[in-house]
Amino acid sequence: MGRALSPAGAPAGRRAMAALTAVLTAGLAAACASGASGTRVVNLYNAPQESIGAIAGRCNREAHGRYRIVVNTLPRGADDQREQLVRRLAARDSGLDVLGLDVTWTAELAEAGWIREWTGRYAQEASKGTLPGPLSTATWQGRLYAAPYNTNVQLLWYRSDLMPDPPSTWAGLIQASERLAAEGKPHYGEVTGAQFEGLVVWFNSLVASAGGRILSPDGRRVELGPSALTALRTMRRFARSKAADPSISNTKEDDARLAVESGRGAYEINWPFVYASMATLQPKLLKKFKWAPYPGITGPGRAPLGGANFAVSRYSAKPDAAFQAALCLRDPESQRTAAIQDGLPPAVESVYWAPGMAKAYPMRQAILDSLKTAAARPMTPTYQNVSTVSAVRLSPPKSIDPPRTLRSLRGLIEDALQSKGVLP
Amino acid sequence: MNEEVSSAEAIPVPGRAAAVPSANRRSERRLGWMLCAPAAVVMLAVTGWPIVYSVLLSLQRFDLRFPARKAWIGVDNYTTVLGSSFWWNAFAVTVLVTVVSVAVELVLGMVIALVMYRTIVGRGLVRAVVLIPYGIVTVAAAYGWKYAWTPGTGFLARLLPAGAAPLTDHFPAIGIIILAEIWKTTPFMALLLMAGLALVPEDTLKAASTDGATAWQRFTKITLPLMKPAILAALLFRTLDAFRIFDDIFVLTNGAQNTSSVSLIAYHNLIGGLNLGIGSTMSVLIFLAVALIAFVFVKVLGTSTPDAGRR
Amino acid sequence: MDRTAGGITRWSLVNLLVVLYALVPVAWIASLSFKDPAALSNGAFLPTKWTLRNYRGIFDNADFVRGLGNSIGIGIVSTLVAIAIGTMAAYAVARLDFPGKPLVLGLSLLIAMFPQISLVTPLFEIERTLGLFDTWPGLILPYITFALPLTIYTLSTFFKEIPWDLEKAAKMDGATPFQAFRRVIVPLATPGVVTTAILAFILCWNDFLFSISLTSSSRARTAPATISFFTGSSQFENPTGSIAAAAIVITVPIVVFVLVFQRRIVAGLTSGAVKG
Repeated sequence: MGRALSPAGAPAGRRAMAALTAVLTAGLAAACASGASGTRVVNLYNAPQESIGAIAGRCNREAHGRYRIVVNTLPRGADDQREQLVRRLAARDSGLDVLGLDVTWTAELAEAGWIREWTGRYAQEASKGTLPGPLSTATWQGRLYAAPYNTNVQLLWYRSDLMPDPPSTWAGLIQASERLAAEGKPHYGEVTGAQFEGLVVWFNSLVASAGGRILSPDGRRVELGPSALTALRTMRRFARSKAADPSISNTKEDDARLAVESGRGAYEINWPFVYASMATLQPKLLKKFKWAPYPGITGPGRAPLGGANFAVSRYSAKPDAAFQAALCLRDPESQRTAAIQDGLPPAVESVYWAPGMAKAYPMRQAILDSLKTAAARPMTPTYQNVSTVSAVRLSPPKSIDPPRTLRSLRGLIEDALQSKGVLP
Repeated sequence: MNEEVSSAEAIPVPGRAAAVPSANRRSERRLGWMLCAPAAVVMLAVTGWPIVYSVLLSLQRFDLRFPARKAWIGVDNYTTVLGSSFWWNAFAVTVLVTVVSVAVELVLGMVIALVMYRTIVGRGLVRAVVLIPYGIVTVAAAYGWKYAWTPGTGFLARLLPAGAAPLTDHFPAIGIIILAEIWKTTPFMALLLMAGLALVPEDTLKAASTDGATAWQRFTKITLPLMKPAILAALLFRTLDAFRIFDDIFVLTNGAQNTSSVSLIAYHNLIGGLNLGIGSTMSVLIFLAVALIAFVFVKVLGTSTPDAGRR
Repeated sequence: MDRTAGGITRWSLVNLLVVLYALVPVAWIASLSFKDPAALSNGAFLPTKWTLRNYRGIFDNADFVRGLGNSIGIGIVSTLVAIAIGTMAAYAVARLDFPGKPLVLGLSLLIAMFPQISLVTPLFEIERTLGLFDTWPGLILPYITFALPLTIYTLSTFFKEIPWDLEKAAKMDGATPFQAFRRVIVPLATPGVVTTAILAFILCWNDFLFSISLTSSSRARTAPATISFFTGSSQFENPTGSIAAAAIVITVPIVVFVLVFQRRIVAGLTSGAVKG
């Protein structure tokens, strides 16, 4: 979540061409690669990302024949990406070498024994200069299982002409919307309220902002204390207030972005890719398009932590080449390219101050600040189950019945942790 | 009326069994077995062992992500699945979709069958065109329906009040699933019913007509009773077929808003959850449900020898 | 019947309704596939600006072309095998008397009614172990299995209609058994076999559940499953146009089959359904 979203940074035609070429070359290359298994071809499976071809190209040149990365593109939705990866891993497919993983999959794949632990020299290089938040998402039970590639945090993005002083709490946002509604101005606040991972992201950050957790840090117990009740009440109140877009129960990240770009929404809670998109598609609104920290319960909240990491498959026949390729794909230069071309916030702190970042990332200080308090999602091998059942119980947000929803969530998540839960 | 229903030429010719001299009996028997063996072996190998295997899997805790926790757990998986509101919701959705779509298809299919059978102009054209929904790939058609109801894109969504997104609400979404199912499979139902219409002797209808029976009376008193076997067979097929609905729901909602069918929820637990234990348990339960439906049709309603179900 | 002008008009109107029922949804997908991406979201039934861009796009997409190849290859192999072994069984069922006959028919019937999903879970695990997962044989096997009941039932009905006495007559006229079979029986049986092959091919071509469950890459994934993995050509472009174009591409061959062989397909589909 929040990792596969790259900005509409380039003109549509060029983007389309680039994507098309990428697909074509990937297809051809994959076809050739399977024939010559003896050479050190490293198959990368990554979420759709425009500049990944350029990044891999630079690594291939610098590798001087030690390995050759072939880019394979996964589907667009995070669930589809995971489904494809786990199915092939479950089938012990040796055609996968480097895997681009959402931050929430680390525990699952590590526990199943499908990805290799990073040790020694490789681990050292993967953690050098890496921000602690992103590094923790690549770690499971004290061992490093992936190298952070990019990170992500949600911010409050608002129209300064409608909201000169951005509120720092959800209650403040509701009030601001009520005021705007009374003045007859755009007043919707866009949040990811559809029945999908984004809804769980919202809930998790609210629970964290209220001082609690969904699961214990070891991922074995359900916590969901009084803070969860506060979070549920806040979601319900927001969904029933003037702030809620009538289509809130159908809003994903992209719908939120579009609503604000089209002028229907006054503000949105979203990942930073919306800035680059606004710059391209609505340059006139850009001057009034500002950002503020993620809202909380009594003060600033704890923003959702997203991002992607690179892991090496257990079934890779050339792990050393794969580790080296993964390291190059996520080195500072690669991260800088991904940040500027695709709007993916770097996981290495120094990259934020690299040339070109000031223009593409005017909000970089806000991102770095939010990263310090950002709330990761629960670490558990069964995260997929926990998330799926939670999304079902939380949807639609306006029907949340706090104490009852909480009881039901507890039961479902407890079952999910035992892997005896039923997925809807 | 010189063009008969095409299937009328398929009147069974009596076998020549009686004429076989008994000396040849043994070699004929052996030949019969030899000819059937490859087909029987393939069918048994691909379904027989997997069925046994899925029963075995359903008695184990077996999550591919936690191979270490694999264990025999008796009927725990059945308790879990039968105690899950998700499962029962999927079951209710499946039954609702099955009952409504098959009922509508029966009526609509009968109308189309009568049109195809009785029309006096362009009969070949109508029969050919009606086959198109049958021939179209279910997934392709489902995408058509999905986009037709997507706000902003679809011509049907445009007829709705602004802001309506029918695929994102429980009942409207089920309605669209049923619509897609009905559109695609009614032609098949109509063809089966048309074959049944051909069994009704034209003379009987004429005689009733001269006796003063109205068209409706002729239909309900003569046509329907004579068609009963054909109707039951068609209903059996379509009920079993509708009960396994997967493609339409996968494309239209993928189970969001509690619209999963039993097949889809089993798929989600297997492929998304990698939970072979729970997935197999659902497989076994679906198999039992299908067996029960077939039993009811054959034993209780007296449906006779239906043919292979096809989509 | 009432062949008056009024009757003809009335029936023409009724026919028109039936034709509209069958064609409007197909026309809608076709229309979507010809729409310019920029005008895709105007909700109009017909394209305001026509383009072939969507078609060019999908044929430039290596995964789709591969999927189409897989669909055709897997479909043809499954159909041929199912017809080969199905014909033998159907001949036995139609012409011979042997004690196992009800068993074969019962087994076919059972499989015809079998919920495919119940097979997906065990097959997933079995094919994973045998290394058949994500391969052509991994899909061909279940396709053959589900095509067999159809083949056996339809072909045995066709075979029962063949006037086998002609064979005897040919032999009396001095033809060798092989000549009698080739000159007399083969021409009589061919239409039934072709029809059955088309029905079996449609069955395989239409499958989605096995293809999406038992494959994980374009190595064996068939076209319908490939379509469901389409992504837009860029992050914010929905693949609506490409999906519509691909839907039309995989539909056209079947529609052509159906229109060309209409009468035979109707006969094949309904054979045995009303009598047993």
